[in-house]
Formats: sequence, C-alpha cells, structure tokens
Amino acid sequence: MAVFDNRHSRAVAYAKVILPLAALAMLATLFLFDRAPGTADSIPYARVDVETLAREQRLGNPTYGTVTEDGTAITFRANAVRPEAGESDVVNAARMTARFETPDGATLDLTADEGVIDGRARIAELGGSVDIVTSTGYRMTTDRIAAELDRSTVETTGAVQGSGPAGTLEAGRMILTQDASSGQYLLVFNAGVKLVYVPQK
Amino acid sequence: QQIAFGGLQQDPTAPVEVTADSLAVDQATGLATFSGNVLIGQGEMRMSAAQVVVVYGTTSEEIERLEASGGVTLATPSDAAEADSASYTIASGEVTLTGNVLVTQGANTIAAERMVIDLTAGTGRMDGRVKTTFTPSGAQ
Repeated sequence: MAVFDNRHSRAVAYAKVILPLAALAMLATLFLFDRAPGTADSIPYARVDVETLAREQRLGNPTYGTVTEDGTAITFRANAVRPEAGESDVVNAARMTARFETPDGATLDLTADEGVIDGRARIAELGGSVDIVTSTGYRMTTDRIAAELDRSTVETTGAVQGSGPAGTLEAGRMILTQDASSGQYLLVFNAGVKLVYVPQK
Repeated sequence: QQIAFGGLQQDPTAPVEVTADSLAVDQATGLATFSGNVLIGQGEMRMSAAQVVVVYGTTSEEIERLEASGGVTLATPSDAAEADSASYTIASGEVTLTGNVLVTQGANTIAAERMVIDLTAGTGRMDGRVKTTFTPSGAQ
C-alpha cells in the first residue's frame, strides 16, 4: 500500500478499508436480530359462543306455510327455530306467530311465546301466553292452543278470556272448525260461555 | 190489554250478561249464536232460552237486539212470562214475546198470542186472543 507523507492521505486510505468492512459487517448481522413478536394489532372478531352455534342447527326468522285439505292457508313465522333433538320432523320455535286464512276470507291470527311444529303428526302447538285475534273482532288470550295442519281445526286446551266485538267474553274452551253440514267456518266457544255487554249511554 | 208487569223501573243501560253452554260465531258474517241453556240477565230481569242470536247495531260494538227462541221464559222479581220466542231490544228496554204467551201474576194467569213488555216503564201490552183466568183469592 503506497505510503503517504501527510496525515490526510493516510486517514483516507485507512477509511477506504475500514468503512466498507464495517458496512459489510452490519449488513451481515441485519437478519440475525428478530423483531419482538405480536406487535401487529389482533384480528377483530365477534365474541359469539362458537361452540353452541356449531353444535345447534338454527334457523333465523323462518316462515313455514301450508294449506289444509279444505283450503285454509296457514303461515307460521318465528324468530328462531331449532329442530327437536332426535326427532327429525319436529321443530321448536321461539316467539311464533301463525295466521289462518279460511277460504271465506276470514282470518285468525295467533302470537305465542313458543311453539312446536310436528311435521309427522301434522299438528302445531303454541304455548306461553297465546294471543288470538280474529277478523270478526274477537281478541282473546289463552295458555296453549293446538292447530291441525291437514284440516282447519284450531283448538285451545284450556280456558280463554278476552273481548268480542261487543263486551268482554270468557269461555272454557275455544275451537275454530268447519261446520260439516254447511261448510261455514265457525269459531265456537264452549264449555261455558259468559259475555258481559255494557250498553253505551 | 194493558197490564202492569215486572214492577220494576229497569235501567236499559245496566250491563247485560249472557251465559250459555256455547257460542258459535260465523267467521264469514260475524253472526253470533248462543245455544244451550242461554240465560240473559240485566238488573233483576232474567230471560232464559234455548237459543239466542245476537243482532248487532250500526257498529259491531253495539248490540241492538237479542233474538231468543226455542221456548223463552222471562222472569222479573214479581212476574213471569213464557213464550215460544222473544226479541229483546236493549236500548229501548222492550221485550216482544210471540207465540203461546203465558203470563203468571201471583195466582192469575193470562194467555195471548203476542205481548210487548216495556221493562223501563214496567208495563206489558198483550194482544191476540187474550184469555185471563182469575182464581178468587178465597178458593183453594
């Protein structure tokens, strides 16, 4: 290596050797130091109980429609429906409504806290507190009501209270059937009926 | 023939209570028919019949008439009347009995074809072959 008489040239000559070596050393160790793990933010996900969702089959806001032999259209709606364990054809529903439109144009609406539709036995049963509203102006409540899916028969299992077009009404049982002889659809309150009508002034 | 009947000033706006074995409502027309030991009660008046049809007024919130049939008995605290059928107009408090009307007042009985009772005034008017049988109070 040439010898220089003055300090500046000697310093530059050393720099030309030392600086590239330092650069090479830094470059070599660049990949040896890893970064601290998890510095990136975690993926946002909903805290839904994944196990139950995976285990249960669940239908949201389903609608089920059917027509009976004599032409009554029945539509069921519910918030959520779960199949009965072990029963392929039976379905449990939460907050269920049912609408019966008989061919004569009258309607009967049921809303209930919970319900069961049994496809094989062709029966739907609504429980909890059942509200019944008919197009003929009857608004009743009962505990439990069963409806046949093949023939238009809707029957409460127990007492029913409420109001008719004129006055309050209570009865031991209520059943919507088609009168065999006349073919008319009758809403029959039986097992003791009491109507209290207060005449307007 | 005009007679006093019922001896009560019935208030036509008193609540009317109808009890029966069953009530059938025709879904298409809304016609309501009570059947089986139907008992209509208002104030002290009691009317029992085999079948009663509810006739609504202009709006369906208001009952205009109750058509009772199949043998009707109308009882008030002091008198009783029987007939084949009766029509009770609630607003006017008027009961029209038709067919084999028989009124018993104490020991006397009066028969006629037709009778109109005004419950509010407590009077009754009978027409059509009126036949009255008195039993003198002394004879037993």
